[in-house]
Amino acid sequence: MARYVTSRLAQIVVILFMIVTILFVLFRLAPGDPVSRMVDPSLSPEEAANLIAQLGLDKPIGQQYLQYLQNFVQGNFGHSFHYGLPVGQVIMAKLPNTILLFTTAMVLSALAGIAWGKVAAWKKGQGADMALTVAALVTHTLFLPWLALLVIWIFGYKLDWLPINGMISAEVWLDPASGHLDKALDVAYHMVLPLATLFIMHFGSYLLVMRSSMLQTLREDYIITARAKGLTERKIRNHHAAPNAWLPVITSVGLSLAFSINGGALTETVFSWPGIGRELVMAVSQNDYPLAQASFLLIAMVVLFANLVVDLLYAYFDPRIRY
Amino acid sequence: MTVLLGVMLLALAPPAAQAVEWDQNVLKIGVLEEPKSLNLWLAGDAWSNHVLQLFYQQLYVNRPGDLKKVPWLAAGEPQYDPQTLSYTVDLRPARWSDGSPFTAQDVVFTGQLIQKFKVPRFFSLWSFVKSIEAVGDHQVRFVLNRPDASFTSRTLATPMVQKKQWEPIVKQCLATQKPLASLLRVSLDQPASSGPFVLKSWRRGVFIHLERNPHFFGQGLSLDGRPLGPHIEGIVFKVYGTSDAAILALRKGTIDFYWNNVQPGYLRDIAGDPAIQVFRNQKSALYFMGFNLRRPPFDDPALRRAVAMLVDKRFIVTRVLQNAGEVMTALVPAGNAFYHLDQVAPYDQELTRGERVQKAYEILVEAGYTWEVKPMDHAGRMQACSCLLRPDGTEVPPLTILTPPADYDPQRAMSGMMIQEWLGQVGIMAAARPMAFGAMLEKVKGHHDFEAFVLGYGNLALDPAWVSAFFVSKNAGKGGWNMSGYDNPLFDTLADKAAKTLDPGQRRELVLQMQSIVQQDVPFLPLYNPLLVEAARNDRFQGWVPMVGGIGNLWSLCQLRPSGGPAAEAAR
Repeated sequence: MARYVTSRLAQIVVILFMIVTILFVLFRLAPGDPVSRMVDPSLSPEEAANLIAQLGLDKPIGQQYLQYLQNFVQGNFGHSFHYGLPVGQVIMAKLPNTILLFTTAMVLSALAGIAWGKVAAWKKGQGADMALTVAALVTHTLFLPWLALLVIWIFGYKLDWLPINGMISAEVWLDPASGHLDKALDVAYHMVLPLATLFIMHFGSYLLVMRSSMLQTLREDYIITARAKGLTERKIRNHHAAPNAWLPVITSVGLSLAFSINGGALTETVFSWPGIGRELVMAVSQNDYPLAQASFLLIAMVVLFANLVVDLLYAYFDPRIRY
Repeated sequence: MTVLLGVMLLALAPPAAQAVEWDQNVLKIGVLEEPKSLNLWLAGDAWSNHVLQLFYQQLYVNRPGDLKKVPWLAAGEPQYDPQTLSYTVDLRPARWSDGSPFTAQDVVFTGQLIQKFKVPRFFSLWSFVKSIEAVGDHQVRFVLNRPDASFTSRTLATPMVQKKQWEPIVKQCLATQKPLASLLRVSLDQPASSGPFVLKSWRRGVFIHLERNPHFFGQGLSLDGRPLGPHIEGIVFKVYGTSDAAILALRKGTIDFYWNNVQPGYLRDIAGDPAIQVFRNQKSALYFMGFNLRRPPFDDPALRRAVAMLVDKRFIVTRVLQNAGEVMTALVPAGNAFYHLDQVAPYDQELTRGERVQKAYEILVEAGYTWEVKPMDHAGRMQACSCLLRPDGTEVPPLTILTPPADYDPQRAMSGMMIQEWLGQVGIMAAARPMAFGAMLEKVKGHHDFEAFVLGYGNLALDPAWVSAFFVSKNAGKGGWNMSGYDNPLFDTLADKAAKTLDPGQRRELVLQMQSIVQQDVPFLPLYNPLLVEAARNDRFQGWVPMVGGIGNLWSLCQLRPSGGPAAEAAR
């Protein structure tokens, strides 16, 4: 096991180095000029050149790359051109918001998908299976902004039950009379619509994976043995079939959780959720190299490590697998 | 599932604090982006300026109506001494938000900081200022290297920072290897404000809360006949991800004003709501088609004039902008009346499509262009023509019209497509090509690799110095602002003269002449100026001040009052 983990960690280091390099080159090749947004028409080319030099963009690309690698090893990702703040600070200000929404949504979707997938497989060909499978297929193929705007319009505007956007309400958070509970409730209140939208969009994929895996499991000999032993159907489903069926779902959930840290630019934009997804899109469109590179790198790192964790979990849940 | 249901049920119970009315006299404004920084030297975008203009005040500001400069932190008009090339400005008694006085030292410090660091957004306005000295606490003397008209109109409109706050920061920045980069990276938690509001709190990505600055000089003061306040307790800027959400929030009453242009598609919904008032104001904007004069075929002014003749600006305004704009006939928009050229070029007359093609055809024939099949038949009717041939008999090669993409600006993208069709009517094979804004700017400004483009500036300075910047030959190099590569010695001379002419009337004449030359030579073809359509609720606050650039301005926020009801009671 230790040898396997060491080998995987070494692979991760090599892949990370490749990603760092590719990211650096890609952003430099992308059209656009980060400086053009900071100058006015009457600034002379010499003064613009001074600004470029101050930002370190005047050096040969190779030199910039070496400098970038050196800073990367030291954990220094530079300052955002747009915000003027250390990149780490910008990311850390938004990352918890993204994790709160997307990780919660992924966990809830996965739990529901596994539970309902189990039921659908168990009742294959019956009404419940048809209803759940069709619902999963339909919701999984919905266009997220359309669904998001629809729920905002119905529940936020027409029925006026829920806030139409944002993560918190200024009215509550600025009110001196608001306590911690009020603020916590306010966040939950604002999470309902985006969470429901993400849940509707994502539970279907887990459901279908679980259903398919469960159907395979139900054909196994040990299920027949369990029936022959006279166990109840409920016990066979929940204790013998399901635990063996959710192994493929673990991969899917593990990677989804990893990707959930990059949020979703569309979801965050439509719901005005102050997360990392919107920030990433803005960083790319504004040629904010340091912020964009660091954001992509963070995503890459989390995905690589999530892969490793999923592989290790596989061995834990399935005794047949040994590294 | 239980967890999900629990969260939903818990959340559906409205938070208790919603009932509390602490915010009766607080204006709520919807914005699409928050300020990128509270550091004035870094944040130059419009969204940042919405907030920063309420902290960092200028010596002079434009007044609504005629847009003339009126003293703000200054106490009167600047006094010019032609012998010494110096201006003397008296300052009014004012205070910073920490209670310390605003003095001449703050003005001197601000100017010297810009010069020392060559701050990108401001340095060009201060580069010709030789020295700045405080004459006592309330008088400043500026000595110039040369007369420059933009001194009074732009330099004296520089936002001022507090010396007490910035002096130690500047010392630290100067001690670094890259002082300017260090200055741009300064993060301020609480900027000293000389304006009507001061920062109370900021939750990044969600809202910014400003409260009334008790030390604002304008409290109880009537300036230029306008009673200043502020008469509201504070402002909350709320960040919305999309216009859809912001408009719904406005209709719902969650915000009082949406500080952005309202697209025509939303107007029908808003129009039925008596609590929402729609304001239409002119912008200081220029949306235009530009040509590359450095290479064929648009190095020929006749071809450019023919293209100008083919472009039906009225059609673009009525169909593409859905009447939410006006035709531009000159570079400086009509809203900036003092510098606007009220002269209509032949191609800007109201003509039918047939007449436009006929006149373009005549221009091209006169310049020696030919066709195998002409665009007009013997009876003067339009017909499908062959490719346009240059005077030397070669074909005008297929051209590309670069435009921003439709998701960035559908109006410019659509205008490019319309122009492509119109050019085809005289045998010019053109194709509109939308591309990412940054990429387009790099192609046009950085590499000069283009034939024509459609671009726009939505918030141009009211001072017309930019007219020079866009067309003087010295700016035609790569990265320069003369993107068309226009080179006209007469224009250069007029531009140089205009920059040095201090008399507003004389300068106006020069600027008008410059616009007239551009109108004739057509390096740029001004297309349209979209109206700024804004929407505000009238059930909580009233007193918005319309001006060029919209009702979202310093004057409005200093003059707004509660409309009546609970908010008015709270204000009393």
